[in-house]
This record gives sequence, structure tokens and C-alpha cells, in this order.
Amino acid sequence: MAPKEWEVLERIGAYAASELSPEEAREVERMILEDPDASRLAESYLRMLALLGAVGEEPQEVPQAVIDYAIRRVTISAFFRQAEWFFAGIGRAYVDAFVHYLDLRDPGPAARGI
Amino acid sequence: MTFEDQNLAKKAAKGDLEAFARLVRGHSGLVYRLATRILGVDEAQDASQEVWIRVWRNLPKFRGDSAFSTWIYKITVNTCLSTRRKEQAREAREFGEEPPYIPAVPNVENDPETAALAGERREELFRALERVRAEHRAALILRHMEGLSYAEVAQILDVPDGTAKGWVSRGRAALLVALSKESGEGRSR
Repeated sequence: MAPKEWEVLERIGAYAASELSPEEAREVERMILEDPDASRLAESYLRMLALLGAVGEEPQEVPQAVIDYAIRRVTISAFFRQAEWFFAGIGRAYVDAFVHYLDLRDPGPAARGI
Repeated sequence: MTFEDQNLAKKAAKGDLEAFARLVRGHSGLVYRLATRILGVDEAQDASQEVWIRVWRNLPKFRGDSAFSTWIYKITVNTCLSTRRKEQAREAREFGEEPPYIPAVPNVENDPETAALAGERREELFRALERVRAEHRAALILRHMEGLSYAEVAQILDVPDGTAKGWVSRGRAALLVALSKESGEGRSR
């Protein structure tokens, strides 16, 4: 479809959605009065927007499995995160102990007489 | 609800699983509904679960600058769009074809066999939505199915207001074309 045709199509859509300024709306209304195709398009848009709105208002039930699975997966993820922290903590403690045992810790500038 | 959500989000960010479970129960409707509309029923379940994993991972970054529901909308749309990135080839097709004639979309309200036809129209609508470029589809759904303002659509899609408006407009036009094709194909089946 040519860009110009898309532009017209989109403008009629904006008119159907009541999103045009009064001046722009009058321009589209003139087009609709003069051109049966434009009039037909405006009607189609109105029906489509009504359909979108109606479907948009339909309640949608969430399968319980979706909720349960999401909570379960996050529980597992949280467990692994905590396990990771725990083991990282133990690892750090071992490294600290090792450094202390071998007397590898930097005594600092004061102790070095700087 | 918003204040309660913010509290739950803070607790969940610190690892409180019960608070997180309450957030999931409270917002799973929004997530699943949006995923279904953007991706279709078949993919909505996996996408919803992916959304909640992302929410859990990103909760420590949630600062409460926007409503929790807006933040959830954003993560859901991003998750659905990343699922749809594979669809890129379809986008070229959307604007490459020449739809010379756009028949009127049948009127749902005045139809005598309303119930059956409404179901049929609904199916056609979802099939047609699949033909619309993913970003445009998301913008269109947020605006015309979720009833959000352009400012909210822009915030969720992380684009300027003008871009959000353009995407909705382009999505509307593309959906009309796709819907008329669906109706035409449906009648010829």
C-alpha cells in the first residue's frame, strides 16, 4: 500500500477513535461525505474499535497452574540464591582463615613504617 | 492497592516469598491477559511464567517511581516482544503487500446469531492481531483493549508519546487490513 493511502487510512482511524482535533475531524468528515470508500472505512473502523473494546472487557481466567508454577519456580530460584550466598560466605571465611593462617594479610602502611 | 503493592514489592525484594506470592496472585490476571492478547493462548502460559521470573530478578531495582502495575505491564510487554522478535520477517510482509479493497468488518452487535458469530469474530480478531507488527500490536492492545492513556502506553513501551501514538495509529490501520482479509478468508472457507 502506498504511503499516501496509509496516511489516509490512519487518519480515518484516528477520526473513528475520536483522536483528531476539531479542525482535522471536519476535514475527515468532508472526505467521508464525498467518498463512499472513506465512509465505508470509517464504519469498519468503528466496528473494529467496538470489537476491540468488547474483547478488552471480557474477563480472562488465569489457569491456577500458571500461578502455582510461577511461585514454585521463584521459590526454587530463591533457594539457590540463598544457597549461593551461604556457600560464598563459607568460601570467604575459608579464604580469610587461610590468609590469616599464612600471615598473608597486608599489615597496613603504619605497620610497614610508612 | 498501590500502597499495598509497594510494600509487598519491598518485602519481596528482600526475599520474602509470601509477599511475592501475594503479588503474583494479585497481578497474574493482568500478566496472563496481556500475554494472551499479544502472543495468543498457546504462548501466554510460558510467557507469564517468564514474566514472573523477571519480576523476581528485577524487584530489587524497582524504586516505586511508577505504579507497580505499570512496572508489571512494562515487564510483560518486554517479555512478549522479545518472544516475538523472531517474527521480524512477518513485519516486512505487513507493509509489503497491496490490499486493494478493504471490505467492511461485519457488525457484531446487530447480528442475529450473535453468540456464535461473536466467538467467530473474536477468533478472527486474534488471528488478525497476529498479522500486526509486534510493537504496533502491543501499543494497540494497551490503548484499545487495556484502555490506557497515550502517556501510559509510552511509559510502558519506553518510547516518546508521539511514537506511542504513531504505533497505535499504524497498528489500527494494519489490524483493519488484516481483519478484512481474515473476514474474507473466513467467508471463502
